[in-house]
This record gives sequence, C-alpha cells and structure tokens, in this order.
Amino acid sequence: MAVVSVERLRKRYRRRDPWAVDGVTFALEPGQAFGLLGPNGSGKTSIVKMIAGLLRPDEGTVQLFGSDPGTPASRREMGFAPEDPDFPKFLRAGEVLDYFASLLGLDETDRKRRIPETLEFAGLDQERRHIRQFSKGMKQRLGIAQAILGRPKLLILDEPTADLDPLGRRDVRALIDRLKDSGVAILLNSHLLSEVELVCDTVAILAKGRVLKEGTMAEVVPEGRNLEDVFVELIQANTPQRDQLPSFITEQEKN
Amino acid sequence: MNGALAVGRYTLVELSRRRILLVFFILGAAGIVLLGVGLKVLYSFASSQGSFGAPNTDPAAFNRYLELAFVNYVFSALGVFGLLIAFAIGMTAIYHDLESGAAVSIFAKPVSRFAFAAGKIGGAVLALVAIVGLLAVETRIVMFLFGGGLEGSLTGEAAALVANTMVVMLIVLALSTWMNNIVAAVVAFVYYNVITGVIAFVHKLFDTGVINNDVVKAIFDVLYWIVPHELVSSAPGDLARAQIALSSAPTNNQILAAVPSASGWGDIAWWVFVVLFFAGMVYFAVRRRQV
Repeated sequence: MAVVSVERLRKRYRRRDPWAVDGVTFALEPGQAFGLLGPNGSGKTSIVKMIAGLLRPDEGTVQLFGSDPGTPASRREMGFAPEDPDFPKFLRAGEVLDYFASLLGLDETDRKRRIPETLEFAGLDQERRHIRQFSKGMKQRLGIAQAILGRPKLLILDEPTADLDPLGRRDVRALIDRLKDSGVAILLNSHLLSEVELVCDTVAILAKGRVLKEGTMAEVVPEGRNLEDVFVELIQANTPQRDQLPSFITEQEKN
Repeated sequence: MNGALAVGRYTLVELSRRRILLVFFILGAAGIVLLGVGLKVLYSFASSQGSFGAPNTDPAAFNRYLELAFVNYVFSALGVFGLLIAFAIGMTAIYHDLESGAAVSIFAKPVSRFAFAAGKIGGAVLALVAIVGLLAVETRIVMFLFGGGLEGSLTGEAAALVANTMVVMLIVLALSTWMNNIVAAVVAFVYYNVITGVIAFVHKLFDTGVINNDVVKAIFDVLYWIVPHELVSSAPGDLARAQIALSSAPTNNQILAAVPSASGWGDIAWWVFVVLFFAGMVYFAVRRRQV
C-alpha cells in the first residue's frame, strides 16, 4: 500500500482565482524520498497541506495510509514540519514537545526518553526562553523536532532548511538519509535543488499548480546535467520571461 | 479525550503567562484590598473621634454601613474586572494559535478539531473561574475586617459573575475565529453589553411596571428570550434589604420591586443553552478553518 496516494488533485482558494493545484497525481512508497519542486506559488505547500489534512481539496482524492487525511487516526503515522513554523508563544521548547507528545498519545516512558533526545538533536536542549523569543532558525529546528517526535512512517518537510545554518542543513540531510534507510517515506518541498538532488529518489517539477515533469532522479536529470539546469529550463519554457531589470537600476549602471 | 486534555492543559499554561491577565488580576486584587483597608481605616479614624462625627451614631451600625459600601463597590469592581478578564482570555485563547501558524503543527497531529475546540474552551473557562474565584476568595478574606452577614451574597454574586463572563468570553472566542480579535471584542461588547443590555433593561422596566404598553411589552418579552441575558444573583436584593434595615425605614416594597430579582430555573436553562450554542459556534468555526 502506498503511504501517500494523490489523484487528480485540484484546489483553488477563491472561485475566481486560477487553480493553485491543478490535476496533480503521484504516489509515495515506504522508504522513498519524493521531492516537490517549483517556483514560488507553484502549489507545493497547498499539496502538502492537503496531504496533511489541513486543507480540503476541491477535486480529486488524497489517501494517507489508505485513509482520508481529515481523520485524526490517519495522521498518527505522519510527521509534518511546516514552512515557517510557529508554536504557542508562551511555551518553552520542551513544553511544546510535551504538548505534541500528548497529542500523539505517547506514554510517559516514551516521552521521558524521546523529548530530551529530540531537543538535543534540534540543539534546543539548553534553551529556556519562551517561543516568542525564538529566532526563525530555532523555530524551524523545533518544527523538525516535533515532526519526528512520533517516529512517523511519513515525514513531510516543507522548506525544512530555509532558515537553517549550514550545520543545521547537514543535520537535516543526515536525518533524511537515516529515516529513508529505516523505511520512512519522505516528502520534501524545497527550493534548494542541490539538496533535493542529494536526498531524493523521485522528483516532480511543478509550475502554476501543474506537474511539468515527474520521475526518478535519473529520468528527470540526464547524465552530464544537474537538477538546477533542468529545473530552470523547464520553468522558463513554461512561464513568461522576466529578463528586464528595473529602469532605475539600468540608469544607475549608465552613470 | 487525551487530545482535549492536552490542549486544555497547555491553554491554561499559556494563559497563566500572559501579562495582560496578570495585570488585570493584580489591579483587581490590589483594588479590593485597598478598598477594604481604606474603609476600615476610615472606620478606625471615625471611631477615634468618639461619636463618628455625629451624635447617636451606633458604632456597630456604622461598621455595617461600611461593610455594605465595601460589598457594593467590590461587586461592581468584580464585574468590571471579570469582564476585562473574559475579553482578554477570549481574544487570545484561540486567535493567536490560528493566526501565528501554531495551529498548522497542532492540526497535523492526530487530534480532532472537536478535541481542540473542547480543550481550548475548557482551558479558557478554567482560567476564568480560577481568576474570578481567587478575587472572590480575596474579597471574602477582606470581609473579615467587617461584621459579616453578607457572605452568602458574595458566593452567589461570584457564581453569577462567572456565568455571565463565560458567555461574553465564548462570544469573543467564537468571533475571533472568524475575524480580527480586536474587532471580535468590539462586536461582542456591542452585542452583549449594549444591545442585550438595553433589551434586558427595558424588559425590567416593563416587569416592574415603570412602563405600561402591552404591544411593546410583548415585543421585549420575545427579544429578552432571544438574546443572552445576564444571570442575577440574590446579592442585589440582599444588599437592598440590608440598606433598608440599616436606615431603620419601614420596608419599602416599591423600592425592593425595582431591584432585580434572582434568576430562576428558566433563566439558568436559557444560560445553559446560550453557553452550548456559542461553544458550538467555536467548534463549527474551528472545524471549517483551513490553515
């Protein structure tokens, strides 16, 4: 059984708006790392939010472990690290993890073991401040920490390294490799194409809510080229070109 | 169930750390102590003059008068601070989670929207009961400075205050899931304290016979049972009777009739319905919310 199965998914936020997600279909198997790539506004976050049960699709179906992601039970085996994560502002990192451990239904023994270890992994074990005093990077690390707390079989990472320093990025890559090896399915949204190329087996390149290209890394990236070249080429071929600099910049250059 | 308990527990933790609630609580607590001690100091000063500034003034009666004044002021102060606290809790308990994006991480966990809404409402109600309860306990302690006799009124008034502020808090909670929390507080204030307040007041004027018009009375009877109206404890009646007794005047039934009478079972049943209705609105809004 596929961990995630998405069929002809469509979503728009207002009736007059264009489709944010338009007919997307893919499946994710255990131990597979799937990369969703696309420029800003291509529909990546909308897709992962529908998989996580946070948004309702207008058309098409999403199955999470064979069930509707809207039901709480189907989300038990899923970990989701959102883009730009936030948490209750007056709690501390340990309290946030304890809160989420309760929502996951972890017993006392698991909590006592997992929470300190997860905090240590996130580099937040010495942190005593409230979340409202956290930097974006610290929130991002806590976002990843809460996502792995329940030892999920599916880990969804939406721009997980956007606010991380190089060491943090390396830790996340190591985490993804380790989880993949243990059979966890990974769904990764990222603009960092070099990162995606390193960790993902399969990718889908999106623009304006549609899949432009999908396949294994070898199918999408021909030998001798890299993912960034393929991505730029595909996007430029499918979106209007913007090669004009603002006039005030070119004027400065002349002077 | 575990999900609702976790949400409720951490809602309480969060609310206990919000400075605005702490400020309201400290102001309320300090105000009650200052009022009680101030009146007692006034009593001591007056008694040290020997005759309370006027001949034939009975010290016990004067002490009783001060206690009545204290209880009157304290009930008003409790009402104001209870309302401020209800607004502060209602504006923050759910709104910040939804707007900050914390709800994204929470809703991605195996917790139902019902459990989330129930936990939030439970945590908010407990916080309200705890703060108003602590202020009421403090009031009771300050009342030891005086002669006593109005303890029962305080209990009833605190219970009615919690019940009434709970409705306001639920209205703000429900509205804050649809709109900006400041706008929600303004709309709730206009709805509960202005519109329903006027309806309840006019209804009372008809009940006490101040206005007589059968058609208008019928309209206000219907309106009264449509809008949420405040529960009234026995305290206003108790205080009025105590003041009449203190003035040594004969019991004036006309004055007593103008004092709001304590709410009956019908009002309590209506309050239960209103609470369930607005709690349901909170759940409905949270369930529909896409984050």
